[in-house]
Amino acid sequence: MNLHTVNIIIKREYLTRVKKKSFIITTFLVPLLFVVLCTLPTLIMTMAKEEAKKIAVVDKSGIVAPALENTATMSFTQYPDADPETIKSSLDSIGMDALLSISALDTVSRTVTATTYAAKPLGVDMTSDLERQINDAVEAYRISTYDIEGLKEIMAEVKPDVRLVSYKMDESGNETLNESGIYMFLSMVLGMIIYMFISMFCGMVMSSVIEEKSSRVVEVLVSSVKATELLFGKIIGVALVALTQFFMWIALTVIILAVIGGITGSGLAGLAGDPAQMTSMTSQIPGAAMPEMQDILDAAAPADSLSAANQAAPSTGAVILSTLSSVNYTQLIIVFVLFFVFGYLLYASLFAAIGSAVENEADSNQLVLPLTIPLMIGFFIAMFVYKSPDSGLVFWASMFPFTSPMVMLTRVLFGVSTWELVLSLVILILSFVGCAWISAKIYKIGILMFGKKTSFKDLWNWLKMK
Amino acid sequence: MGLIECRNICKSFGEKVALDNVSVDIPAGKIFGLLGPNGAGKTTLIRIVNRITIPNSGEVIFDGRPITQRDVERIGYLPEERGLYRKMEVGDQAMYLAQLKGMSARDAQRELKKWFVKFGIQDWWKKKVEELSKGMAQKVQFITTVVHKPALMILDEPFSGFDPVNTELIRKEILALKEEGATIILSTHNMESVEELCDNIALINKSRLVIDGGVDEIRHKYGNNNVELIYTGETPLQSVEGLYTVLSDQDDSGRHTAVLAVSGQASGNQVLSSVLGNGLTVNSFKELLPRMNDIFIKLVTEGE
Repeated sequence: MNLHTVNIIIKREYLTRVKKKSFIITTFLVPLLFVVLCTLPTLIMTMAKEEAKKIAVVDKSGIVAPALENTATMSFTQYPDADPETIKSSLDSIGMDALLSISALDTVSRTVTATTYAAKPLGVDMTSDLERQINDAVEAYRISTYDIEGLKEIMAEVKPDVRLVSYKMDESGNETLNESGIYMFLSMVLGMIIYMFISMFCGMVMSSVIEEKSSRVVEVLVSSVKATELLFGKIIGVALVALTQFFMWIALTVIILAVIGGITGSGLAGLAGDPAQMTSMTSQIPGAAMPEMQDILDAAAPADSLSAANQAAPSTGAVILSTLSSVNYTQLIIVFVLFFVFGYLLYASLFAAIGSAVENEADSNQLVLPLTIPLMIGFFIAMFVYKSPDSGLVFWASMFPFTSPMVMLTRVLFGVSTWELVLSLVILILSFVGCAWISAKIYKIGILMFGKKTSFKDLWNWLKMK
Repeated sequence: MGLIECRNICKSFGEKVALDNVSVDIPAGKIFGLLGPNGAGKTTLIRIVNRITIPNSGEVIFDGRPITQRDVERIGYLPEERGLYRKMEVGDQAMYLAQLKGMSARDAQRELKKWFVKFGIQDWWKKKVEELSKGMAQKVQFITTVVHKPALMILDEPFSGFDPVNTELIRKEILALKEEGATIILSTHNMESVEELCDNIALINKSRLVIDGGVDEIRHKYGNNNVELIYTGETPLQSVEGLYTVLSDQDDSGRHTAVLAVSGQASGNQVLSSVLGNGLTVNSFKELLPRMNDIFIKLVTEGE
């Protein structure tokens, strides 16, 4: 291979793509969207709090109304003797948002029925809060009817409140607090990103091969350079575009988070869901995605787990922070890059071979199936890795080269021994070399074949051709 | 000694034989016409010379030694199916193709600008290829074929898609390149341009070489010894036993155009002096060579 010409090809493939408007827009928009999605729940919560609903209460049973407590989102006004129908029809005029009507106590089942009426429906959170308060009131009433001394206290004591606290141990015996929900979330996001990246950029390689073939420019190109030089120049050029996008996304996300964190002091609060508990930690949070900040986070984590050991149940915020900080981001990024690059190379060479065999994208639908199916299977397995990161299926899927990029990346979060990582990577690289050899043979012949629609049998014949 | 020698080239795609033991010698500094009906194997031969396709057996000798990948930098190829990147700017595209042929960015820029000025298309540099008409794109592609001053140019139907003005422009450029010492392989179905431009030809039919050699030599070989005589006289010319037979005579108010079949041993001089003995005024006396077109059709249909 002539490296000089390959370089010229890489340069063209890279520059024409990064100069495209669509590339520039996605590069800047995605981190922005990501941050917005992360902070949106907090924003919505703070905004929702401002408008507390005024609820008129008509309680015929007499046991619920006294127990109702105003919350940040609801304030109750009692109308002890009013007719629910009158209140219902005059909600606006008395300045109420909703009516809560409680029926008279049913003496047999010892319960009440509760109904709400409102022009604008109450939110899910409000409804469940209301239900809880009413149930508590009915429960308190029932307890009081037993006439056993101290029953209320006994019941309170009997009710358990156990939360599972998980620690992750590493090889040196350090324990870090973690929350499997966060791992599930992270592993799904990672699986999705690598799947998206591989399918998106392999699709890019394939359509570019088809474009060169259908515009016939390929014949001029292969009269100047070898077909294999063209093929690998293109694949490498597109890979560099993908890596540029990936690192730009990381850098931009970190910058945006740092800026927001600096301005509002609420950084990643949305991820945690509870801004109040996060405020003390905000200064460190924007660094969560940045390897350089690892030290600070590591310093924060043991403190959390220490205090957690003393208390029965550590706060949600602390668990999330500790979980996020227990992730080895440097390792994660290295594994992502390695598995993305070789997974991409494996698939891209095969997609290019298929592209060379057809004259337009529509014809490729059937031929790409043997490639898209394993890619999808890998994606689906990756989505369920969190359920049992060490099961047989997951282990073999993380070794099989056509699924390992997705599955291994998600497994890494839950801890994978080094030999497994190395073995999986070696298998992946060897498979790439084999597939590249096959693809180059098909590509060389395919790009100059016009007319007849290509079948799998034709591909097989091309492969056997000298 | 030719610039390119193809020796016993065989190539088949699966069951289909594309070239069967074809040997041609393409002399340096000449225009070589590669002829043949559609599907005869011309494109395969061109691709083998270009190293796009590797033959099953036989070899290509370039400048006295077996051709290598490096030699393709000294070849310029204009394929019959033209194509450029539609979304790319003309200038970027021409620069890219020139650099793939081994030119440095600076040389490429300088030479391309020269050609763009010569063809009067400087304004197109920043245009996208998809904005150009077919003829305009052909011009750009012609430039990218010749910009790196190749020793060998392979032009497949170079005039297709051009209007008469541009055809003339391209024809002149081809002759100028020949003057500068380039060797040109011209593949075309236009037999008039073969007669006009080519020094040598090879005709391929059904994967085999049917004939090759100098154009004049071949025309003489397939000629039937006819001459065309234009004369002015009262009475029409009569055949003379052992000298010539009058095949046709058109009388246009005293000015005759006749075709004479010259007998085997008679020379042109004998025929002419016999004609003059009739007291005619001879306006023109010229050897009638067969058109390449007729030779082509004859050779190709004979093979069937």
